Amino acid sequence: MERRNTKQLKQTILRGVLEDNLKIEKAEFSASPLAGPLKRRTGTILPVAVLLLVAGLLFTVRGNVPLHPPAQQVSKEISARLPWNDILFKEQQDVEKTFAQGWSAPPFDRGRLLKYNLLLNQANVRLSSVFGLAVKTIVIDPGHGGKDPGAIGGKGTQEKDIVLDIALKLQTILQQGGRYNVLLTRTTDIFVSLADRVRFSNEQQADLFISLHVNALPEKEYNVTETFYFGPPSDAYTLHLAEQENHSSQIPSVDFNNMIKKIGDILKEQESARLASIIQYSLFTNMEKYDRILADNGIKIAPFVVLLGVDAPSVLVEISCISKEEEEIHLNNPEYRKKITTSLAQGIKGYLTQREKQVVKGEDNDGKEIENRKS
Amino acid sequence: MTGKKSKTEKADQQILVGIDLGTSRSAISADNGKKKWVESYVGWPKDFIARKVVGKSLLFGEDAIKHRLSLDMYRPLKNGVIKEGTARDEEAVKELIRHLITLVSGEKTEAKIRAVVGVPAESFKVNKVAIKKAVSEFSEALFVVSEPFAVAYGVGALDNALVIDIGAGTVDFCIMHGTVPAEEDQRTVLTAGDYIDQQLFTLLEERYPQADFNLNMVRRFKEQYSFVGKPGKDVEVEIPVEGKSTIHTITAEMKRACESVLPAIVESTLELIAKFDPEYQDTIRQNIILAGGGSQIKGLAAYLEETIGEYGPTKVQVVEDSLFGGADGALDLAKEMPKEYWTEL
Repeated sequence: MERRNTKQLKQTILRGVLEDNLKIEKAEFSASPLAGPLKRRTGTILPVAVLLLVAGLLFTVRGNVPLHPPAQQVSKEISARLPWNDILFKEQQDVEKTFAQGWSAPPFDRGRLLKYNLLLNQANVRLSSVFGLAVKTIVIDPGHGGKDPGAIGGKGTQEKDIVLDIALKLQTILQQGGRYNVLLTRTTDIFVSLADRVRFSNEQQADLFISLHVNALPEKEYNVTETFYFGPPSDAYTLHLAEQENHSSQIPSVDFNNMIKKIGDILKEQESARLASIIQYSLFTNMEKYDRILADNGIKIAPFVVLLGVDAPSVLVEISCISKEEEEIHLNNPEYRKKITTSLAQGIKGYLTQREKQVVKGEDNDGKEIENRKS
Repeated sequence: MTGKKSKTEKADQQILVGIDLGTSRSAISADNGKKKWVESYVGWPKDFIARKVVGKSLLFGEDAIKHRLSLDMYRPLKNGVIKEGTARDEEAVKELIRHLITLVSGEKTEAKIRAVVGVPAESFKVNKVAIKKAVSEFSEALFVVSEPFAVAYGVGALDNALVIDIGAGTVDFCIMHGTVPAEEDQRTVLTAGDYIDQQLFTLLEERYPQADFNLNMVRRFKEQYSFVGKPGKDVEVEIPVEGKSTIHTITAEMKRACESVLPAIVESTLELIAKFDPEYQDTIRQNIILAGGGSQIKGLAAYLEETIGEYGPTKVQVVEDSLFGGADGALDLAKEMPKEYWTEL
């Protein structure tokens, strides 16, 4: 009896393996537009590829010629996977219905293609949500290192040591649970050029890049915390700060020209801004408990070359200000550094949770579900 | 040793193989009785001088590790997936598979290969098409399945069982309930063998700053002495200090590094079981199977039994052959696959 059950189970399972593999073959046939490698490889180009495919399926139909069966299967598979299927695929359903009734295809409309292109550049639609993009690899970048000590406090504390310690602790916290692959641009006291940091992040195909720094602002009487993402400098101070941090970039002009092409990457800008705001909020509200006159300099935009170069959404956090004597003493206390790490981790986890939630629900920037927005 | 066969005989020969394409090690089992494994490293000489030094145009496994300074090294399934974006990683997967098949079928064989390939669960989700393409060049027909599923099939854990496959790049969880597991029946966490190596490396660096060691050495220490829970005896290893081989005690560091992966394993196990039909949760808890290199960590099964046991009676078993468990399971699938299924592909 048991043997017969096992035999039946095996038959069911083997049939399932066959069906799974037939699906893979179909995906292969359709040039695997949604297969992992291409999805990751193309980075932000993926949405364009998917949209062009969809657009192609929808609008290359001529006269009364029915849709080619494989194309229908492909579009259905895509439809089932993407969170915005309701919006874009309603049009495909209309096309299919039209054919079912024996009507002729709607005329090719370039205007609609333009709309899809516009979607990719809509600042108020969260593209990571629309395209269900997940975070897997996080690169943490402890600033400076080796021959480059970064900012130095009055008692000799060096920025490079503080940020390395915090980065290592942060890596341990974020790796717990095993959901994310957390990498560091340096794990010891070595000099790593900005160009190498950028290269590392891009080679590892980071989904998030977080650069950690400590500020030195002798002219300020209180401690400050601030978080940056890439953009034109918001004031003379941010320009000066970027100039300091970019000092040892070692980025050749030719690479810089390529980097410039990344300006205007809406997805990166949207996610960088969100990440910056959540980290800054978490850092300030938590650290304010230990330093009542801590100033919240908020989110700033500055042309840090390291933020421009990496493909992933990226932020640069100036955790605190080492030029303040009291803060320098605090920073030398491992417990205090642990609190900073926990605050940063809380912010990053908050961002990741929010992003996951949005991917699942398909929310737009205002937190309203797509369904609601439609109505 | 088989006798020489004529060319016609060879052409008609068909070999069924099961391949376990792992992050750290890859193994192959064939129905001709041959079994081989190789470290999942592929290396191309960096330049013509390196080519002359190593004497080959392509190196695999231990051979590649030995000559790593002269090679562009690829570990194509790092983190459980084909590292995306580099054609070389896809090429490395292809070469690795070619090498494995050659190991069991001979250099110039014209045998028809029918293969079932087990890949890390995460890779199965995202790279299955790429892997299928990579293998298709060397086989007449092939099936790709997730690695923990192949293990489960091999040990006959077809229904109400949970397989935890602890590899180098990933820990894959797979609930079996009488069908091919769907994506929601599987889970992957990234704190696996490589993570233990990294932790151990950092801890040893902190404790013995003068000691001179690298990640490969740390990995060997782990493979030899890994444990969780109470240590049997002190773990002592030889590490050079300023060129002189010196004994170092690393018991505490080994324990801490190995136990660093436990929270994620326990959490995922409980989550997966809790999601399952409540009527069968007890049965699954008593049918947990540990596979992969990580299953060899001493005390792991007992630790899981005790920790998960707080939620109800728990039984954790370890596969007999952690190295070939996946490949053997894949071979079983290949052998039992109906002939018409091969042709249907």
